[in-house]
Amino acid sequence: MSEGVVVGGWGYVIAAYTVTALGFLIYGIMLFTRLRETKRHD
Amino acid sequence: MKAGIVLVVLGVVLLLAGSYLGLFVAPAEQYMGDVQRIMYVHVPTAWNWMLVVITTFVSAILFLFTANAKYDARVEAGLEVSTLLAFLLCCQGSIWAKPTWGVWWDWDPRLTSVAVLLVAFVGILALRQFVDDPRRRAVWSSVATIIAAVDLPIVYFSVKWWNSLHQQQSTPQTVSSQFHLPLRLNAFGVLCLSFGFVVLRTIVAARRLEQEMAAPPIAGEAGELA
Repeated sequence: MSEGVVVGGWGYVIAAYTVTALGFLIYGIMLFTRLRETKRHD
Repeated sequence: MKAGIVLVVLGVVLLLAGSYLGLFVAPAEQYMGDVQRIMYVHVPTAWNWMLVVITTFVSAILFLFTANAKYDARVEAGLEVSTLLAFLLCCQGSIWAKPTWGVWWDWDPRLTSVAVLLVAFVGILALRQFVDDPRRRAVWSSVATIIAAVDLPIVYFSVKWWNSLHQQQSTPQTVSSQFHLPLRLNAFGVLCLSFGFVVLRTIVAARRLEQEMAAPPIAGEAGELA
């Protein structure tokens, strides 16, 4: 960082997108699993 | 259920397109450089988190007025999806804060008020696990959701009331036109994905409630908890 300008930072960008993608992906998998489980009990 | 799946698929497609444009096509911002690209996921997550909290709050009020089980299912779904979005929001914000503010976390009013609502919703979800009576569970969690949601206006206005470290809300007027398309695509992507999740999670909650209520005669009428 120099003179108020952020230099580089792709690592942070990749980290933020990865966390977001993993969060949605893991929740989505858990949700579809629960949908199938509850359907089996019908 | 089809509507939920369509929304999830549409959300994924929009998010992929918006993220591609945000990562590889849009230019780097003048001062924040490439780190600003985090905005394309952080801001849509924040907007849609607020929307899901508002719909959960409305469902909680509707449940208390009607005692209809479908609103309790919507409250449960909204609590869970908004917890996911608030968690992602805090993670993205932390990752943005380190290179721009120099710290991973600051007890700034905006960050603190979001964290308070996240913890409150986690608490309400935990409360639901400990209450066996569906009617009590629904009433208590609706009341708790309404009380917790009072924090949402504080979250929204915190940056104006306290002139805090967190910047003011981004709008098309405050963001360069080159950043609009990826931001809008991701905003609609997170919107579709979040509400797709809410629709599907509501189905799960409704099915579980039906199974639970089928055994003991708790409800007076089908579909009602009062």
